Amino acid sequence: MRKASMYISPAIALLICIAGCAKQVGKTGSRGTRSTYVIGMSQCNRGEPWRVQMDADIKAAALKRPELKALFKDAQNNTATQQAQVREFIAQGVDLIIISPKEALPLTKPVAEAVDAKIPVIVLDRKVHGDKYTCFIGADNVLIGRKAGEYLARVLGGKGKVVELKGLMTSTPGQERHEGFMQGIEGSELEIIFDADCHWLEPDAQREMQSALARFPEIDAVYGHNDPSAHGAWVAAKREDKGREKTTKFVGIDSLPHEGIRYVRDGILSATFEYPTGGREAIDVALKILKGENVPKNITLGTRIFTKDNVNKGGEVL
Amino acid sequence: MADRRKTSSQDKAALAGRALYALGNFRGIAALAAVLLLGVIFSPQSETTGKLMFLTRRLHNDTLFENAEYGILAVGMTLVILTGGIDLSVGSVLGFAATLSSLLMVAYGWSPVPAILVTVLAGALAGSINGFLISRFRIQPFVATLAMMVAARGAAKWISGGIKVQPGARENYALQGNPPQFYTWMTSKVGGIGFEPATLLFIIGIIVMLLVVRYTGFGRRLYAIGGNEEAARLSGIRVASVKVAAYMLCGIMAALAGVSNAARLQLGDPEAGFTYELDAIAAVVIGGTSLVGGHGGMFFTLVGTLIIGYINKILSINAVAEHFRLLAKGGIIVAAVLIQQRRKT
Repeated sequence: MRKASMYISPAIALLICIAGCAKQVGKTGSRGTRSTYVIGMSQCNRGEPWRVQMDADIKAAALKRPELKALFKDAQNNTATQQAQVREFIAQGVDLIIISPKEALPLTKPVAEAVDAKIPVIVLDRKVHGDKYTCFIGADNVLIGRKAGEYLARVLGGKGKVVELKGLMTSTPGQERHEGFMQGIEGSELEIIFDADCHWLEPDAQREMQSALARFPEIDAVYGHNDPSAHGAWVAAKREDKGREKTTKFVGIDSLPHEGIRYVRDGILSATFEYPTGGREAIDVALKILKGENVPKNITLGTRIFTKDNVNKGGEVL
Repeated sequence: MADRRKTSSQDKAALAGRALYALGNFRGIAALAAVLLLGVIFSPQSETTGKLMFLTRRLHNDTLFENAEYGILAVGMTLVILTGGIDLSVGSVLGFAATLSSLLMVAYGWSPVPAILVTVLAGALAGSINGFLISRFRIQPFVATLAMMVAARGAAKWISGGIKVQPGARENYALQGNPPQFYTWMTSKVGGIGFEPATLLFIIGIIVMLLVVRYTGFGRRLYAIGGNEEAARLSGIRVASVKVAAYMLCGIMAALAGVSNAARLQLGDPEAGFTYELDAIAAVVIGGTSLVGGHGGMFFTLVGTLIIGYINKILSINAVAEHFRLLAKGGIIVAAVLIQQRRKT
């Protein structure tokens, strides 16, 4: 009950999932396959809220399937630990492995070993090299950035001054969210007047926004590469006490239930764009694999936009 | 004894009121002046008034506000470094305090005063454990506080359940809508003074500790222990209790910085303060306090905090690209420390 608020959006997602899977349950019974399956999940770093959410999504989806038992391991941001975890799962003889790898290259071999041992592997979010895995599920940061750019161009009437608070720009998501955004505002008269690398951190975003506010009397929108950055910028604008937190549009990415979605509901952010964890989809795919059905090699997830109008309806699929 | 005399002459040199005397002896001020000059030279113009932004009051106010937390941490760190120790746990204790104070106010609906009191007590406890491990069990300060750094971060994640503590984050939180009034008060200018309480906390903290270090027996004992621990022991100083007190005060300052952090972000982030211990140590060392202990003081730390703060502000206001920022920061730190070394020889 305590965690109920964290599960609002996965719960909605689950309803859809249950409806979709209902037929398959009967099929399993009739084929007389094994009654329970053990899934091993290796998460690279539970220190990140988004990854905590991924585990929560997997757990919630797996709980709805009595035939599935999920084991969770946290590599605590250590590649060697994660390599060991995959090998532990192989030794243990789990029926399927889900992995969200910390790094591609060092985890390619352990994943291949699992496939050689006839254990299917679903790779989430970050890829491994080669094609020795069963299914990759990931989101498209360029697409999300583009949708954010198109949204701002639309609500600002194609013209305006934008502050971009970037994520860590040496990381691929940071680069892609920037690249996509530039594609999205192409052709409009939106102009980025101030930008800074905020390393995904809210305090850094708040500091940079204070500089931007001091320098520019007119800021029409703030594009944060994640929701905490956008929130930090809003707090800085509010602290300035000139009412600019109301006239500026703040947009973020990720849409975690207790962060971005709540900020939209409270009127802090104009919009947040979901970066789906793929946790729910991973369980869907896992069930298909375990039943011997064919699954696509690569699945790219779409995004959803949450605004004040649709936030209570679970957002809008883009 | 020669050591003591040297310390007191350095102290005199650092006295804020004697600016002229200080300028000759205290190169940290020269370094700060150089940074400020760079700020003016590279200052962009305000888009509204056309004035050089570096000459506006707002910029300096923002700089102080943004660096208050590092400053508060650095004040506590100075006490510990003066004894020849180090405290790596301040960033994590800050995170724990930010989480605990917002949990008490947001989740349990406590009023600010008891919430802050409990948080400060928790910080004092963490600091005392550090001091106790170091002085009674002879564990190296680096190791003991490294353990606390890991443990306090764990405690922060445990009490928060791993999420940021803010109104509505969980259904059973006492506050569901607006954050506590206290957060807004803490980060809004107090009428008549023109400073935010968060900034004032830093200013008052450094003044109080400057007086404590300079004019109390406790302060003199810190220098004595840092200068020569064995000699201090032989001259009758209760080294263990002085050390415990220094680490405890450092923990209290970290807790206050944590309360300030929660107010500034309007939420209690269990990840808050990550690597802040390095910023605090940098501020102390750039100011000119020796990592070996026994030399330096609070005024040095104030200057060190301002040097780092202004460098960051200048780079930020000009929207300098990340790689140049890091390169420039590294270069300036080395330059500042080189100036300090010349003074010591």
